[in-house]
Amino acid sequence: MKLFKASNGEEIFIIDAHIALWDGSKENQLNIHGEQFISCFYDYHKNLSPKEYWWPKDEFVKYSPEKLVNDVFMEGYVDMAIFQPVFLKEFYKNGFGNFDANEELSKKYPNRFICNGTFDPRHGERGLEKLEENKEKYNWQGVKLYTADWYGNSKGYKLSDDWSKRYLEKCQELGIRNIHIHKGPTITPLNRDAFDVADVDDAASCFPELNFIVEHVGLPRLEDFCWIATQEKNVYAGLAVAIALIHDRPRYFAHIISELLYWLDEDRIIFGSDYAIWEPKWIIEKFLEFELPEDIQEETGVTFDLEVKKKILAGNAARLYNIDIEKQKEKLKNCQLSKWIA
Amino acid sequence: MDKEKQVYSMLEKVYDPELDQPLTELGFIDQVLVKDNHVKVVFRLPTYWCSPNFAYIMAEDIRKYVSEIEWVKTVQVHLLDHCASDEINHGASAGKSFREVFHNVSDGDLEELRKTFDIKAYYARQEKLMKYLLKMGMSKEHITSLSLQELNELSLPEDGKLLREKYLEKKKVFHHSSTFAITTPEGKPLTEEEFSDYLKGAKLTRLSMEFNAHYCRGLLEARYNLSAAYEGSLAK
Repeated sequence: MKLFKASNGEEIFIIDAHIALWDGSKENQLNIHGEQFISCFYDYHKNLSPKEYWWPKDEFVKYSPEKLVNDVFMEGYVDMAIFQPVFLKEFYKNGFGNFDANEELSKKYPNRFICNGTFDPRHGERGLEKLEENKEKYNWQGVKLYTADWYGNSKGYKLSDDWSKRYLEKCQELGIRNIHIHKGPTITPLNRDAFDVADVDDAASCFPELNFIVEHVGLPRLEDFCWIATQEKNVYAGLAVAIALIHDRPRYFAHIISELLYWLDEDRIIFGSDYAIWEPKWIIEKFLEFELPEDIQEETGVTFDLEVKKKILAGNAARLYNIDIEKQKEKLKNCQLSKWIA
Repeated sequence: MDKEKQVYSMLEKVYDPELDQPLTELGFIDQVLVKDNHVKVVFRLPTYWCSPNFAYIMAEDIRKYVSEIEWVKTVQVHLLDHCASDEINHGASAGKSFREVFHNVSDGDLEELRKTFDIKAYYARQEKLMKYLLKMGMSKEHITSLSLQELNELSLPEDGKLLREKYLEKKKVFHHSSTFAITTPEGKPLTEEEFSDYLKGAKLTRLSMEFNAHYCRGLLEARYNLSAAYEGSLAK
């Protein structure tokens, strides 16, 4: 297993807060939407990954748990990873993500994974009961919400909907404290801005005990996201997608990270690779090497040094998930993966 | 000018509302087919999931601008490979409103949305011009007190002229009554104290739009296997 050593010799502990094990295979696809969904992911993958990290498409649509372990932990410098599953039951027979498959891997490699869950507020009372059952069964500390998911005739929901609030209330009651939200398009009413993040504002002020991690930093509405995050202190920036720009568009990444540090500060930015769209290995290598160009740094006056990077790579997520990094390192010493140090 | 070229020159006026760039430059126009006085414009987007409302705005604008050519009798708009292709193609070609086509999932037309994006584009274009003027050595005080006439009369190098032109073009949409050159989208002049915060906010909007544009171009390239060179030639 590879560890990342900073230039001062320090081993950097890394939590990848956004990974997935999915099945987008032909056999699992229900319709053309399923095929298009995974194809779209593949375009993201090819668009921003360095060429030497491009996967063949047939491997990308469905990969083995062993490949995940290899790419994330053995090669990818990651010490702990958080599963963020989505249903997509209208596109895939058995769903795109699978709680049990995640759980199985987590049992095989203790202390390496945090398995988050998901819910869909459009499932009504039945879903609320299921959420309770799932908390009991999987002990979820967080959920990933995909507000653009389809359900029957509905092409998405908002966190400010009455039912969403009932589910968030339930999360608060059950101690599911970390709400990761991916904002995607096609949310009704369709005549409005489909990427509007204002509902996060509403939910965050209604539920101050919950943490709202906005994945992909609210892109493509960075400005609205930053505005909300300055108002609501329980709103966090999930770096997945934005961080992948570091290879192909380094100046854009510099602008984004510099703005986030300026508007949010260094304690509310959280690293995620979005594996398997992108492999953590190249992202982490480039991120730790990265320095803000002088002109960009001067505009905001922010600091982006090793201490800040360590918070983004582990410290902030550790706080949200009650992980004591030093104790965790001890626990992981005897993990079978640690013994295969390359 | 041959008919196809005339159509392309009208398509240069059709902008992606979210990215504030012309479809022709983004590589979104797949082809233009002209038969006698009938035109078919085939276009494509970076993903199957691009929001149908943005797609509809583009489809409506394609139809609107191409229809302005005097010899054109009908315009058929055809969006490829999209989750709402059928509704959009049928609706926009028939000149139906968005509300009529998507009555189940919308509660109005796209005017508010267009306005939202006009405001974003206004901030983005304005921020670029303001930064340019600052770089030229103009003071904050001077910029906030500048009149429209003075802005128009400023002697600027080519790149500066272009920024001014783009900004003023967007400013027109708002019908401001004030004679100040640099105002909020609502037409209110800026005080010197507000200047820096206003600029910081406008910068975020500009960055967000530019990020989207880079991302969308890259996705289109990946989706249709376009090399950068090929994409460039499409823009011509």
